[in-house]
Amino acid sequence: MDFDSPEVMKDFPGLYSSEKKKGNDNDYNDECEKTTKKDMLIGKRKEKKDKKDKDKGYAALEGESSDEASTCKSKKSKAFKFTKSKDKEKEKHKDKQESSKKNPPKKSEKPHKVRKGFGPSKHYVGDCTDLADALPIFGVDIEEACTRGRCHDGISIPLPVRECVDYIEATGLTFEGVYKVSGPKNKVSQIRKIYNNRQVVRLNEYDVPTATSLLKMFLRDLPEPIFTNELLIRFEEAGAILNYNTREKHLKTLIESLPNLNRLLLGWLIVHLHNVTLKEHINKMNRQALSQALNHTFHISSRLLQALILHQEVLFPNLAIIKYYPPLESESALPDDPVIIEKELSKLESLLSQIHWEMQNGHFSKTREEHLWEVQRVTTELKRKLKKFAKTENTSQQTSQDIKQQSEEKEAEKVLEEPVQVPKLEEATTVNVEVEVKNIELTYDKKIDPESVTESEETANSSDAIKEQRTDSEEEYSDSELSSTDSELLEDVFCQYFDEKIVTLKIKNTLLKDLIESLTENINQEKKEIEDHQKKISNLMRCLPLKPAYRRCLKDPNSFNEVQTLLVRENHMLQIKKLHLVRQVMEQKEQCIDLQAKLKYAMKDNKDLKIF
Amino acid sequence: MSKRPAVQPALHKVIMVGSGGVGKSALTLQFMYDEFVEDYEPTKADSYRKKILLDGEEVQIDILDTAGQEDYAAIRDNYFRSGEGFLCIFSITEDESFQATQEFREQILRVKNDDNIPFLLVGNKSDLDEKRKVTFQEAQDRANKWGVPYVETSAKTRENVDKVFYDLMREIRARKKDENKTSNGRGKDKNKKKKLKCVIL
Repeated sequence: MDFDSPEVMKDFPGLYSSEKKKGNDNDYNDECEKTTKKDMLIGKRKEKKDKKDKDKGYAALEGESSDEASTCKSKKSKAFKFTKSKDKEKEKHKDKQESSKKNPPKKSEKPHKVRKGFGPSKHYVGDCTDLADALPIFGVDIEEACTRGRCHDGISIPLPVRECVDYIEATGLTFEGVYKVSGPKNKVSQIRKIYNNRQVVRLNEYDVPTATSLLKMFLRDLPEPIFTNELLIRFEEAGAILNYNTREKHLKTLIESLPNLNRLLLGWLIVHLHNVTLKEHINKMNRQALSQALNHTFHISSRLLQALILHQEVLFPNLAIIKYYPPLESESALPDDPVIIEKELSKLESLLSQIHWEMQNGHFSKTREEHLWEVQRVTTELKRKLKKFAKTENTSQQTSQDIKQQSEEKEAEKVLEEPVQVPKLEEATTVNVEVEVKNIELTYDKKIDPESVTESEETANSSDAIKEQRTDSEEEYSDSELSSTDSELLEDVFCQYFDEKIVTLKIKNTLLKDLIESLTENINQEKKEIEDHQKKISNLMRCLPLKPAYRRCLKDPNSFNEVQTLLVRENHMLQIKKLHLVRQVMEQKEQCIDLQAKLKYAMKDNKDLKIF
Repeated sequence: MSKRPAVQPALHKVIMVGSGGVGKSALTLQFMYDEFVEDYEPTKADSYRKKILLDGEEVQIDILDTAGQEDYAAIRDNYFRSGEGFLCIFSITEDESFQATQEFREQILRVKNDDNIPFLLVGNKSDLDEKRKVTFQEAQDRANKWGVPYVETSAKTRENVDKVFYDLMREIRARKKDENKTSNGRGKDKNKKKKLKCVIL
């Protein structure tokens, strides 16, 4: 990919000299630029060597990564590409150099790359060159990529991968030859630079091939393949097994022995690729074609990749791609819903702690500092909103708690509530400990949805309980009415009145009975769902041993506490919300039944009239 | 690809420093929203932006309200670097907070590496004069020593609240003009005075 890497010079010693000859008819300036470029490349090579000796921590940068990333296949194909489009690229490069000279503030890649290898400097260097050089997101191992290119919703997928997948899922699935057609290299490396600079990338300003090429570049640049060097061969062996079930079993055990971050990243990608194949009738990329287009990227055989896509449902159960919504920016409209505010706040806090961490490690830049102020400003504004909300909510919270207490006193409620509260508690604890699990388990996508699962369970159960009591009393009431009417039947005036009462009550009675039936049905469904969720949770717990993964994405111990307190608060708010909803549901149902009863009675009246 | 807002008025970055509970947030909120918050809740870091008219010129002020507690010192330091002016606040009812200003001053000078950074010493809670522990003269002497103005404020009564922010912004603005002149080399000979005025109430 990196056409100006020193290795190219090695492979093609005459590359730049021949260019000179060819460029004879060009003006003098161009030649000058070429020589400087050559010098720079030589300089860069030296620096790279120095750097290799100095530290291997950041060793994996650009061209270098491909040496280490094993499998010479990809390297060969690279070299081949260069001979093909050599001239074009040279021209492009010239343009780039010229434009960079014209626009000094852009500074372009040259001075940027030359600085590589030096320790972090403590001074501003124009844009965030410092951060991009010292802590790049591309070309580093998965753990570092996840920390540096952090997704602030707690899912440990490197940001470039997440955003590319989101973009391709949104627009690329119907693109013919998706992943096969590659995007313009200059644009791809431009986006990589933006990512490394921690700036916002708007992929929809590019196109699908650019996004797929960027994703491929990220994966290819990984110093170690996702399958890890140790397990790679065993994966290949498993992929070659002919028997469907044995292959699936072997692959499953291997995937379970991958490090958490690798497994999550791999699962994410494979599920995504599976989604691509689901649209093969439009994008013309079936499993085979897709595997052939991507096996080099993954450093595996296309057979293995095909097998992974084929078995994805068993290999990565319950893994759904969740769209990433980056933290709010100062221009974006702020949410009003406290639940969403809390969620956004936790993202912002994560971003803040990331920026602080970078700065504490000596990486400053003017833009990053401005970003810090901006993020802090949005955070403050949201916190103010939340405080205001909490104040108004304090009063209504008390009333809703009263209602809960009242209802809890009754036995029926208790019986019904118990089976619900057990899973609820379990879920709460998992949520607190493991954000990742929470996000996979509960679809984050629809913003309020994550809670709706438990919410609806509770709603159904408690509303049913209340309903039952109400019908009980209703029945008693109608019974007593009936007995009293017996004695006073003779009085015509009352007769009509009681008749009306009784009939409406009877209608109500049947309606309520129907309601109970449907609600109990709902409860049973919800119970089943609870069981499913419990299974999923236990599965996930087995797949992702909690603590290590968590520690990785939150190096700062403070942020753990923050996240914990935030989540606890969030849960509290959700409880309040839930109670409100329950009440609303009840009120509406009651009104509805009242009206229905009246309606039926009225209709009956009409019929009577006709008869008379 | 970072989006820049179009043409915006000049932006001055102000940082509030001082020990915990001296009223940094109270001053900020009073200035921003004309509200006085009675209940104390320690700040970690908060940032605000406001558009104001400074001597007929529309400017924006960014206020960063920092933590007084040492727990968040690391976070605070990251902000110091980008601050253009500082309000160093203590409570006139608490001598310790006054003593702490010395350390804050040193820390700021260390980070900014600039003795003339726009800076105001602010004695807050002037409405609680009966509980006063730090005399006006004492604070004024320290301010003189540093070559900075000293102002007493009350976030509760709003006394001098606008004044400290506006005075500081004027200093920042003057400072920026000076810097532009020296860096551009265009010697527009305006009043080149060094801003080291004392404010006596």
